[in-house]
Amino acid sequence: MKLIDLIRRAARSLKHAKARTILTSLAIAVGAFTLTIALAAGEGAKQYTETLLSTNVDPQVLAITKDKSFFEGGQTGPQEYNPDVSVLTRSNGGSVKQLDQNDIDKIAKRSDISSVTPSYVINPKYITAIDAKKYTLQIDTYDAGVTQEVIAGSLPGLQTSIKDDQIALPEAYVSLFGFKDAESSIGETVSIRLERTPTISQDQIEQLLAGSDTSSISQLTEVQKKDYEFEIVAIVGRSATSLAASSNVQINNNASKEMSDFSTEGTDSYQKYTIATASVKEGIDPAEVKKELVDEGYGVQTAKDLQGLLFTIVDTLQGIVIGFGVLALITSVFGIINTQYISVLERTREIGLMKALGMRGKHVSRLFQLEAAWIGFIGGVLGAVIAVILGLSLNPWITDTLSLGEGNNLLIFQVIPIAVLVLVLMVIAMLAGYFPARKAAKLDPIEALRTE
Amino acid sequence: MISVENVSKIYGKKQSVFQALDDVSFTIPDGASVAIVGKSGSGKSTLMHVISGLDRATSGKVVIDGVDISKLKQKVIDKFRSEQIGFIFQAFFVQANESAYENVALPLEIYGMSLNKRKKMVQSALKVVGLDDKEKQKAKNLSGGQKQRLAIARAIVNSPSIIFADEPTGNLDTVTGATIEKLLFDLNKKAGSTLIIVTHDQELANKCDIKIFIKDGKIEKIIGGKK
Repeated sequence: MKLIDLIRRAARSLKHAKARTILTSLAIAVGAFTLTIALAAGEGAKQYTETLLSTNVDPQVLAITKDKSFFEGGQTGPQEYNPDVSVLTRSNGGSVKQLDQNDIDKIAKRSDISSVTPSYVINPKYITAIDAKKYTLQIDTYDAGVTQEVIAGSLPGLQTSIKDDQIALPEAYVSLFGFKDAESSIGETVSIRLERTPTISQDQIEQLLAGSDTSSISQLTEVQKKDYEFEIVAIVGRSATSLAASSNVQINNNASKEMSDFSTEGTDSYQKYTIATASVKEGIDPAEVKKELVDEGYGVQTAKDLQGLLFTIVDTLQGIVIGFGVLALITSVFGIINTQYISVLERTREIGLMKALGMRGKHVSRLFQLEAAWIGFIGGVLGAVIAVILGLSLNPWITDTLSLGEGNNLLIFQVIPIAVLVLVLMVIAMLAGYFPARKAAKLDPIEALRTE
Repeated sequence: MISVENVSKIYGKKQSVFQALDDVSFTIPDGASVAIVGKSGSGKSTLMHVISGLDRATSGKVVIDGVDISKLKQKVIDKFRSEQIGFIFQAFFVQANESAYENVALPLEIYGMSLNKRKKMVQSALKVVGLDDKEKQKAKNLSGGQKQRLAIARAIVNSPSIIFADEPTGNLDTVTGATIEKLLFDLNKKAGSTLIIVTHDQELANKCDIKIFIKDGKIEKIIGGKK
């Protein structure tokens, strides 16, 4: 018997038992639906992550730490004391070694690195404008590798930083400082107040003891204050795919260093940095540079590593959803076995007749397996189509609710994975149909055609 | 020519053996019409199964056109049935949900006939039994007589050399039964295929060239044929 005839006959048999076929297919459809959504969500999340990283992270950027264990959560437990190495205790109880100026200089000198920016620790008191109240702030170092949404004013292009006396402010400060609008704030001056408690050196103490000027004591122990003035160069908004929280003001590297040095002068943290970002020159593979730096004892993470980390999270979540889909499929497999057994019993006569007319057991078996495959096909297509329709119609709402940003979709449906899914479902259904099909193939035509 | 030589058929094992056929021998010339007559349980159906290759004899030979089918592999027997044999049953066994066309096409599908040839053969078979206007009708919408005619069309569609009819008129009223009988005998005469009717109906048996009476698995008497 020809395969095409078997396929057509199988389809006709299912058509004659519409209700049963649909109900059995629905079980598979549930699995197909879940798996389609899982695949779409996984793809969507990956693409979103990629968009997120490509708009926020320069692929040439390396994150460098003194401590190799930094990217694994920091070392826990006691470490050997080294007076030359500064250690920062982290909130999780672990402690990490810090980079010092030597490290920074060493890295900066490398021929494959174009620039190094340490993460400066600056604890500003407040920011204010002329005739305005004082407000708290966070200071970020301007990152020339990131594209930002500019509301007013202008920022230099990629790889170029703002000037030493320039500042980029988030939108929130415009109204706080009483500017009419974002445009009118451009070119205005703001000032940031830094304070530090002085650390008195031995020389200074001896000097004090030698003299008897009490006013100089109070002068030395007095809290030192310093105001830094900046010109507003741009007001930035927050793009949907932005990782950077924009309650932070941005100043350039030199200004950050100056302020950081002032803040930490005389303390253990002076010119010590937990992490630094370095830009690898164009055309050089960051992974190569990473390898060399790691050999020198640094902890290094590339943009790709970060992507891999995020993908791991996405994969895990996707895995869970796929697990549920597979569970639904296992259930549906028993449904198919059951339905097909009943079908074989119901059609004993038909099977007997076909065998009497010379149909081979192999072909009878194939006929029933093809019926199961049809059920798998119908269920798979049904589930996938519902998933696609539902997904596409819900996508705008999901994007809106999760504020993913215009043009980003959480669910991205692709033809090939769905086609493969349907094929796999057909194979699974066929395997499920194996036992009933074997029963049909073994049926004795004489017994089947006995008339009483 | 069909030659049945010392065929025995035993069902069951040890304590519960049942001898359905006991040393049965006879020959049927090509193109003859034969009635296998006997009461229910006499072994007439078993005999039909053994000759048609649906069942195997425990001992003895069934030689059809020089080939002992009891020695053939299952695959070859299946092929032999799909090529050489047509079946007509008392309960019709037409597929109720399928159209008349699909019902008649079944043996050709099993044989692996190409779609074009199949169409012509099905249509001519339906024409022979006078159902050419019911091609697209579902079998369940046909009357009893029409169903049996459909079954006949299915039996003759691949021009078999032997047609088995198991109580072909058993489920039909006298008038319809008579037309079916006439159809069967006409086909036997025109197409030259051997017709073997299994029946307990003496009247139907009398219309056949050869009558084989069977009782308790043994041949009681054979009327007609050579010698």
